[in-house]
Amino acid sequence: MADSSGTTLMDLISSDPTSAPPPPSTSAQAPTASHQRAASPFSKPVTATTTTDRKSKRSTLMQIQSDAVSAARAAVRIPHKHKKKPVSYAQLARSIHELAASSDQKKSQRQLVHHVFPKLAVYNSVDPSLAPSLLMLGQQCEDRTILRYVYYYLARILPDTGAQGLTPGGGIPTPNWDALADIDAVGGVTRADVVPRILDRLSTEALNSDIEFHPRRLQALKALTYASTTPEILPKLYELVFGILDKVADTPDKRKKGIFGAKGGDKESIIRSNLQYASMSALRRLPLDPGNPIFLHRAVQGVSFADPVAVRHSLEIISELATKDPYAVAMALGKLAQTGGALQDVLHLHDVLARVALARLCHSINRAKSLDERADIKSHFSSLLYQLLLDPSDRVCFEAILCVLGKSDSADRTEERAIGWYRLTREVLKAPEAPSVKDKDTKASKTRRPQLLIKLVMRRLESSFRSFSRPVLHAAARVVQEMGKSRAAAFALGLHDNINEGEDVNTFAENNETEDGKAQAEGHRRIGSISMSNGAGNKDTVASLLASLMEVVRTTIACECVYVRAMVIKALIWMQSPQETFAELESMIASELSDPAWSAALLNDILLTLHARFKATPDMAVTLLEIARVFATKVPGKIDADVLQLLWKTCLVGAGPEGKHTALEAVTIVLDLPPPQPGSMSGLTSIDRVSAFDPKSALALQRLVQAAVWFLGENANYAASEYAWESRTPPGTALMMLDADKMVAAASSRNPTLANALTRLQRCAFIGSWEVRIIAAQALTTMAIRSGEPYRIQIYEFLHALAQGGVQSQFSDMHISNGEDQGASGTGLGSLLSPMLKVLDDMYNAQDDLIKEMRNHDNAKKEWSDEELKKLYETHERLLDLVSLFCYVPRSKYLPLGPTSAKLIEIYRNRHNITSSSVMRDSAAVATGISELIYEATKPSTAPVESDNNLDDDLVNAWATGLADDGLWGNNAPAMNRVNEFLAGAGTDAPDVDDENVISRPSMSYDDMWAKTLLETAEVDDDGRSSGSSSPDSVGSVETSISSHFGGMNYPSLFSSKPSSYGGSSQPTEKASTGRHTRPSAGSSSYEGYGSPISEEPPPYSSPVHQRFESFENPLTGQGSSSFDSHEEDRSSTGGNAQSGGSALYDFTAGGDDELSLTAGEEVEIEYEVDGWFYVKKKRPGRDGKMAGLVPVLYVSQS
Amino acid sequence: MLLAVLIANSEGNILVERFNGVPGEERLHWRSFLVKLGADNLQGVKNEELLVACHKSVYIVYTVLGHVSIYLVGKDEYDELALSEAIFVVTSAIKDVCGKPPTERLFLDKYGRICLCIDEIVWKGLLENTDKDRIKRLIRLKPPTEF
Repeated sequence: MADSSGTTLMDLISSDPTSAPPPPSTSAQAPTASHQRAASPFSKPVTATTTTDRKSKRSTLMQIQSDAVSAARAAVRIPHKHKKKPVSYAQLARSIHELAASSDQKKSQRQLVHHVFPKLAVYNSVDPSLAPSLLMLGQQCEDRTILRYVYYYLARILPDTGAQGLTPGGGIPTPNWDALADIDAVGGVTRADVVPRILDRLSTEALNSDIEFHPRRLQALKALTYASTTPEILPKLYELVFGILDKVADTPDKRKKGIFGAKGGDKESIIRSNLQYASMSALRRLPLDPGNPIFLHRAVQGVSFADPVAVRHSLEIISELATKDPYAVAMALGKLAQTGGALQDVLHLHDVLARVALARLCHSINRAKSLDERADIKSHFSSLLYQLLLDPSDRVCFEAILCVLGKSDSADRTEERAIGWYRLTREVLKAPEAPSVKDKDTKASKTRRPQLLIKLVMRRLESSFRSFSRPVLHAAARVVQEMGKSRAAAFALGLHDNINEGEDVNTFAENNETEDGKAQAEGHRRIGSISMSNGAGNKDTVASLLASLMEVVRTTIACECVYVRAMVIKALIWMQSPQETFAELESMIASELSDPAWSAALLNDILLTLHARFKATPDMAVTLLEIARVFATKVPGKIDADVLQLLWKTCLVGAGPEGKHTALEAVTIVLDLPPPQPGSMSGLTSIDRVSAFDPKSALALQRLVQAAVWFLGENANYAASEYAWESRTPPGTALMMLDADKMVAAASSRNPTLANALTRLQRCAFIGSWEVRIIAAQALTTMAIRSGEPYRIQIYEFLHALAQGGVQSQFSDMHISNGEDQGASGTGLGSLLSPMLKVLDDMYNAQDDLIKEMRNHDNAKKEWSDEELKKLYETHERLLDLVSLFCYVPRSKYLPLGPTSAKLIEIYRNRHNITSSSVMRDSAAVATGISELIYEATKPSTAPVESDNNLDDDLVNAWATGLADDGLWGNNAPAMNRVNEFLAGAGTDAPDVDDENVISRPSMSYDDMWAKTLLETAEVDDDGRSSGSSSPDSVGSVETSISSHFGGMNYPSLFSSKPSSYGGSSQPTEKASTGRHTRPSAGSSSYEGYGSPISEEPPPYSSPVHQRFESFENPLTGQGSSSFDSHEEDRSSTGGNAQSGGSALYDFTAGGDDELSLTAGEEVEIEYEVDGWFYVKKKRPGRDGKMAGLVPVLYVSQS
Repeated sequence: MLLAVLIANSEGNILVERFNGVPGEERLHWRSFLVKLGADNLQGVKNEELLVACHKSVYIVYTVLGHVSIYLVGKDEYDELALSEAIFVVTSAIKDVCGKPPTERLFLDKYGRICLCIDEIVWKGLLENTDKDRIKRLIRLKPPTEF
């Protein structure tokens, strides 16, 4: 809105409505606002103001405090007379004190209701010093609206906000009043002073049984619940609530059907029902007290209350208790659950959440093992649950479906899920024999027709998918997803043999009917009619029902809401079964991914869904990999490469012997794709083309290719089942010296998987970018070490050529230059390759020597002496150590001297009692090779240690390639946490907003900028420690929260509008005052600060460091984050005029001596620009120890 | 848990916010996430047409009413559909108080009463009253059911 720009919410509320509409010039409006003392520190324009205002804050806030306290005495003009001027918190507080004294006058009352109280609501919390006046008002005032406000504000004083002073309600952040009061040693009023008084008063009021007082009693009870965060008060509250319930709940309150909710009834019963409502609501807000029989008793009583909201609360309490102690709850409910009981009435209650709670309650009791022997009880509850499937509200029906499917909030159990699916496909809903229905014979036959759950559910879902409401679509897709999960669980447990999806579902019904002897004949007739209605001759199979549902689900992908689409895709992934073709799903996902609307968070969510799907059905590894590949090629910039790699890995292991080849192909196909073509839109829906149009995703793609190359090197041997230590090549032919062409032909015919991998890696070693080439060379070495002949010699030759650089000239025509320094040798890989070649050289030399020796021995026909054997063994060990530096090999099996050495080594070991396991002393550092130094995150933290030789070969091989099962590498992989968290269904933390898109909104970008500074502050703190700010007890996060709390006083997003102007003109003033020229927004308002007529002048500017400490001593002096900012910026400003700050957008690796490596997000100071390069300085030396150097302009964002 | 109720004007400035069970450091993220969501999607949306989003296991339902946009964030039993119910209560209460879909001015003029309404609708992170008349009575300090 035009009229709001440049003003705070307080201004908006306070300003005269009539003067508002003509939109004022935006920049001129702000100053008035910014200088209201109390309001200003909390509002956005003033965030900016803080530069100058900050210094005055301490005194300002002290002023508020003393104002507030002495307000009653002070004779100041009432603020409302200056309608056009916004009122400050201090003014509001003052007027409350005054008006409370004169609350008997009509005028004061009006003033309170229309001006003071509404405006006070804007603030986050209420000053405890207001409490006496509020209590006075509550005692003396008759006006209902005033009293309502009084309870509202008392309730806001009560909650214990903890050290951070954060109340649950939002609003303009207020200072920590207690801290403030402490400063003012004499007159300060803290919460501790007033809370007991308030509690006393409210408790007395809550117990006042005067009829006139009745409504106040309810509100007092409500306000009291806000104190429930304080443990000392809790017992009192319980006592109070139970005391009221004692009086009102025990009287048998026969609810007459049909009239509750309607007006009528005698006064007494209405009052009782109101009290029942109030106390049940209060009880709901108190912490659950499982194991307390009174608590349970009272909650169960609530089910029969007349007030629908009270019933809802009681059901919610019971359903929560039931998850903890289902047996006790079921016993306590007893008759209520039976036909005609109060729970049946809930079915007809006009309160959606009450019915949802009922569904949950039924589910908890149904799944309880402790009730297995009480089938009668369970049957009551399950029949209730099935009836909820017919509920008119989608919310209730969906909840019931989820319950039937066996979903649970805490931990999903596969068996429960599987049984859930079985239940859904088999069970029949028999309509209840409600007495009221029995009477009407004609209708009865219609309503009592038993219905198959599956049909019911499918029909319901299909109709929901036709809805126009996005929440309904989203929820329906979610239900289908859950259905897929249960179905997958049933498949996994082999239950699907029982559930033949091709079978006519009606036969299940018939089977069920036969048990129900009496209804049998009738049943057949009914079922016949159901089938008929679905089309003559059409059998209803689970498969056909599912197919028609999935058809509707697929069409929902056309929804314009990306979140709905994401849910639909997840549902499709879950409903996809291993046997079906997934081409359709794949192309659907591919075309979806081309839509830029997809956020990174959503895409990663889907990727994690793939993970979960794989866990449920390992058979689908290849399918899932194919889908994951689409992500890798289409949106490399948006997905989490760690999670993707983890998926690759798990799927490769899960694919099994026959799927391994396909799985590896699916991963490495990334390497075969043509490079992205900027601007080409033709391949939008083709899954075989890389889409990386912007530098960020191009970079991400590059990283992904690196990952793929590394992955290939690590896992090719595993996928190809080719290992040097169990080579299929007979020992004698180990050194056959074929020429290269023949060798390749022989190799590829023997093991196409490995040959393919080799070819790909070789190509990458030539034409990839610098980083890819390095990794390709490492990958090749790994493969050379792990593979037997002729692969090893083939790689050796290749590496040799690569190191010489001889091949470079042949390729240089094809690959003119990618603008990179080619390095010292032809390929730039010389220095990297030489140690690798040396190992291979050593191995071959040793092998040659060994053969020579063997021949000598053979010719001379003499035995190997112990000395010779020892020498051989030492060489063997030395080479083993050397090899282990490059990649992991199983030491007990690996023979660097070739297969022929096996016998001799064995002889030596036997003689000297060296078991191969005792040789297994390889530390993690040795076992994890060089490649792991780069990708340590995805590697096992400890090398698997084989204790004997009897281990399963395949397992050893899996270990060898770092493909151990989850447990082994679970701890180390960051992606694992994400996956596990996802699988556990956790995650309520706040989302990150992508900053790239935020720029479209001016006010948002401002917010975000502020948010960033806050986060950066935290980062600076945390850098020294390895832990993130997420762990609650790390010092870093304490500081963060402190700074965010105090910084909260200046939340820019709150209650204010975008900065009025990004001031060019104001800059000089601002520079002179603070030197914060990097923050234009700050500049504009500090100018305003100077220009506006204020009474207190800011105190002299103190040094930033001092400021920083001050902000901790006294929260009111300034916000933590801004003091950090100033600290840093002051430092940066010493550099000179030309420089400015910036941060690295992407990782950058220095290509030469004068270049500087960057890590994305790193803060730098830009010194000057030259030819598309910035000369930047870092705050701290980087990993390479360099502080300054050149970086490409595009890699740095200038702030 | 109904994690948050947030009302913003068309520019993305937050007018009312009530967080429940959201740690202080995360509020800022939620704010900017929601406001961005609105900025991206609420253009040209009809009054009270419901939009949906989710983040991990948290659901978001939001809509526009006159010149203000309303966001609800919830988890567990407060899924999309429960939030839809809740947002319906909030919008109808605001319409009741303002007499029509509010302009920002009107909304601010009725600010205090709207706060009281929200106080009656969402109480410590749980949906409380859903009935219009009941809310109306309660904010005037009358009992929920009159005698």
